[in-house]
Amino acid sequence: MTQTVFTPATLPKNDNINRYAYSVAVDNHILIRKGKMIAYYGNLRFERLGSTVLDILVSNAFNSPLSINDFICVAGQGQLIIGDLGNDISGYDLDNANLTIRATHLLGFQPTLLCQESVVPGFLTLLGTGRMLASSNGPVHFVEPPCFADEQALLGWADCPCPAFRYDHNYIRGYASAVGSFTGFTLSGEEKQVDFSGKGTVLVQSSEAQLAGQGGLLSSLLAQLSGLEKDELSTLASMATGLAGKRR
Amino acid sequence: MPQFTQVNERMLAVTLAGEAVYTKRGSMVCYTGKVLFERSFLTGGNVQELGMRAVTGEGLVMMKSHGAGTVHYAHLGQFVTIVALDNEMLYAESESLLAFDSRLQAGTMFIGNQGLQQMVRGAVSGQGLFTTTVQGRGELALLSDGPAIALQVTPERPVCVDPDAYVGHKGNLSSSFVTDVNWKTFIGQTSGETYQVRFSGQGTVYIQASER
Repeated sequence: MTQTVFTPATLPKNDNINRYAYSVAVDNHILIRKGKMIAYYGNLRFERLGSTVLDILVSNAFNSPLSINDFICVAGQGQLIIGDLGNDISGYDLDNANLTIRATHLLGFQPTLLCQESVVPGFLTLLGTGRMLASSNGPVHFVEPPCFADEQALLGWADCPCPAFRYDHNYIRGYASAVGSFTGFTLSGEEKQVDFSGKGTVLVQSSEAQLAGQGGLLSSLLAQLSGLEKDELSTLASMATGLAGKRR
Repeated sequence: MPQFTQVNERMLAVTLAGEAVYTKRGSMVCYTGKVLFERSFLTGGNVQELGMRAVTGEGLVMMKSHGAGTVHYAHLGQFVTIVALDNEMLYAESESLLAFDSRLQAGTMFIGNQGLQQMVRGAVSGQGLFTTTVQGRGELALLSDGPAIALQVTPERPVCVDPDAYVGHKGNLSSSFVTDVNWKTFIGQTSGETYQVRFSGQGTVYIQASER
């Protein structure tokens, strides 16, 4: 078996190179998650959103102040290769669609799409026509509503009414099972489910585990730690312990 | 000459007929025939190279398999890529080198000797200023986290790589450290892609999907 050596011409145009890497042909602008570029050919620039006049235009596509620090604008012409710490990457072509996705799983999208915060916390909604990239822990599975999904395995949903939580309360019927449920002994772990109705598509990843690797903010902080002196690091450590104590 | 074949994406088979192959220590998973395994300190080189490795901390911990038979190798479920060298030099981190046949010579190179920028590159990527080189004519196997992607570099088409995704490169390439540093970086508004390594010349660069 010989290995394919890719050139800018033979790299897939907007398709997967393998399960974990995706090649994007950039000819204008694209928004991607910070730090996910693994290689590129051509003349590309990476800019923080809103920092130049150019991407102030582009950031009209971005209407989510909560996650603006997680995304950057890639401008120029070239072939961009994206990887996400060994998570599966898939690309979707949206055509006048309405797709809601877990915010940490959104890897990139064309600025022809409008990205807004969903009313469900931790989710982003993409509206319009264009291409988007999502990462998932394991391949993505599509389900037609009506269906129920596990909260952790749920990646997103497209073109269907906003889901609701459904609690399976069978376990509190009867005295013995109530005792069992309060101690956690008789719980199946699937009492809280996400209920989908109407028409559309539900996206489910093949794992209930979160994405591999740290979140965007944490990994960018960790990358800068090597520049700190010893006493600065211990100051940081004591501040972090104090903050963690307050959160509890 | 030793025959390298890919059993599956994570396993390598080497067929030996009296020759020797150097592999990562402890990476044999099974073998047929009559093959001997011994810890190799010199790894086909001389004492000077051993001393160089000891000083630079490029921990090339290899074993030598020789005899007649077929040996299967794998390492921690990492993906295996077979690379054929035709009087070329391959640069890789010592931990991503799974196997190379005994016709090839391994060495250690100071990558900081091409200018100050290279030293910055080593310091930033945390991968040290020294790298392992393999040269000659023969085959070797690289390890990567996820399938390795080979990218061709020509003088007209350089490639830029995230230092964390870099696995190795071969051919006549020069690398330079590209900074996307501008005034915004200093007020904490980075794009997250501030440090890149640009490879230019003629050759192939290997990257992995996972950033270390």
